[in-house]
Amino acid sequence: MTQMSTRKRLWFYRVLTLTATAAIVHLLTVWAAPRLIMRVLMDGPMAHALNMQNQAAFPLPVNAASRSVVMPSPDMLYSVCVYDVSAGPVQIKANPGLQTYWSVALYSANSDNFFVLNDRKAAGKPVDLWLVSERGNSDGPVVPEGVQVVVSPSTKGFLLMRVLTGDYEAEKSVLEPARRTLVCNKV
Amino acid sequence: MRIAIGIALYLSAVAVGLGSAWWVLTKAPWMNATVQTGAWKANLRAGSPDADMYTRASVALNALLALDRDETLYFVATHDDTGKSLRSTCTYRVEGIPPKARWWSITAYADDKFLFDAPGGHYSLNGSTATLDINGRFSFTTGGQEQPGTHWLPTPGDRGLFLTLRLYNPEKELQAAPTTMAPPTITPTGACA
Repeated sequence: MTQMSTRKRLWFYRVLTLTATAAIVHLLTVWAAPRLIMRVLMDGPMAHALNMQNQAAFPLPVNAASRSVVMPSPDMLYSVCVYDVSAGPVQIKANPGLQTYWSVALYSANSDNFFVLNDRKAAGKPVDLWLVSERGNSDGPVVPEGVQVVVSPSTKGFLLMRVLTGDYEAEKSVLEPARRTLVCNKV
Repeated sequence: MRIAIGIALYLSAVAVGLGSAWWVLTKAPWMNATVQTGAWKANLRAGSPDADMYTRASVALNALLALDRDETLYFVATHDDTGKSLRSTCTYRVEGIPPKARWWSITAYADDKFLFDAPGGHYSLNGSTATLDINGRFSFTTGGQEQPGTHWLPTPGDRGLFLTLRLYNPEKELQAAPTTMAPPTITPTGACA
């Protein structure tokens, strides 16, 4: 059996260490990217400007100056909220009362879309949810009858309500009040 | 001297790790296309909690806050039907039949993934604004110069361009087999043809 010289062995371990370092940095970057992007979304300048921590906010209609989230849809009006269930449930209500498409989508801190309710699934009923943390709500306030309980995979996350607008100028008198029915408050 | 070389090598390894992650998430051809029909590609795991960490990171970078395929299908076209990369200076005629979904839209984005500063706020054609011809087909043009007689999506400047087709509440058959969608054609015209 041929033995590696000390010099060769040293270079082998150096190359191994550098390769392992590159691989670990690569994997950490891929893992962390969605979490960092969500953190910027939830705690960044837009979140502060709109004051949307456990509170619904209503950004201006999308246009060329909308640069907070990539690929904004100009055909949707958005209502938003950064929820935080660390100190107890968050109540989410909406009653757009529209015949056209709308949805309420919830995203966890790693960017997964873990819940969505649209107008068809709601079947004409108002949205009435309690969002709770994974540890549940056993020591929290009693959930009122008829309220749907949704467990958030992370203590903090993002709510995005979409309201379809094919022609905003013609429809805004109906759509603006509809999207502003969103309530997102700590119970 | 040896310490400086060691530090340089470690920093190079870190740069390789960061750079390879960036390349995989933004450039790697396999990341954002699990299916393709015509010039249109779709990642069917976008928005899904079942997504692997590469898909999740890629979606966060390229299409943050996407919905899952039951709710919305997203198709992206970065090339025309001849295989050339889309450019904002070129004129393209896009034509097709309305997809089998409750509502649809096609939006033009610049290569930074944001909307063009389009005159008149004409960013998209959608199921509400599209006019169908006698064969039930919609059509529009994109480019820097308005083409008479067509719906025009202005794409000012000289840069990369891509189109996103969104299908809200796609029909069950389309959800199950997205490649059965009849893809809108993207035909370069004028100087870029």
